[in-house]
Amino acid sequence: MPIEMSSRRSRITDEEINELISKLQSLLPESRRRSTSRASASKLLKETCSYIRSLHREVDDLSDRLSDLMSTMDSNSPQAEIIRSILRS
Amino acid sequence: MQVRNSFKLALLKQMLLGFQLSAVSSNSMSVPERKNAIKLSADAAMVFARGSTRWTRGLVAGLSENSNNEDLLRGILGKKYERLSLPCRSSWKIPRSRKILKRCLGLCSRRKKATATQHDVKSGSTLARRLVKKRIQVLKKLLPGGESMAGFSLLDQTLDYAVSLKAQVDIMRRLLKISKASNLNK
Repeated sequence: MPIEMSSRRSRITDEEINELISKLQSLLPESRRRSTSRASASKLLKETCSYIRSLHREVDDLSDRLSDLMSTMDSNSPQAEIIRSILRS
Repeated sequence: MQVRNSFKLALLKQMLLGFQLSAVSSNSMSVPERKNAIKLSADAAMVFARGSTRWTRGLVAGLSENSNNEDLLRGILGKKYERLSLPCRSSWKIPRSRKILKRCLGLCSRRKKATATQHDVKSGSTLARRLVKKRIQVLKKLLPGGESMAGFSLLDQTLDYAVSLKAQVDIMRRLLKISKASNLNK
């Protein structure tokens, strides 16, 4: 998945850069993609930063909600058993 | 762009391991403690699943700064913890990276259908360059280990990181869904 750079290779081709740019573009959710269809570098960077920030917020929010739920979980629940069996495999 | 299922499975397993190690379901934890344990488990699990790359090392370095995190990090990462904490060789010289950035800029503006005048092109591109520089500073702060990256590797690592983050969010959402469902059946 990542484009690995060997330290022996000294030239990064235009093609690789283009590939990277279009991958970054395709990463962005549909709604943001439209505004970057003209692909100005600063717009792409702005949307990428904004996307990463939104993912950070989601993780934070999900951690909150999971912690609320976990507090009411007891170790004898069927869910705990599922967790134990996943960990055993 | 998506991660493989094996990535997601490894993420889930290590995250659950983290929950178990930090005993998130015990009543003795305070709410912020529990949330931090969950977040730390999720991040360490993501690092485990991804393996060694610049952002994962950056993330481990950042998380290790808090000594309270060490036990859980070791518990989840195992042998990987030592490997990921080793300083990595920086194989990209900054001057080369600046050239690459200029090429990125060039390629990006070529994708636009520009019909600008000579004057517009000159002032436009100076402004664009300044704006790009600004955005890159922001990106460097968002990406773990980003401060020591530049040019192509910065963007490449950004892509890699974003894809992994998305997988982390996906797994956490599903875990939340399942947990809610099983809680209702009590």
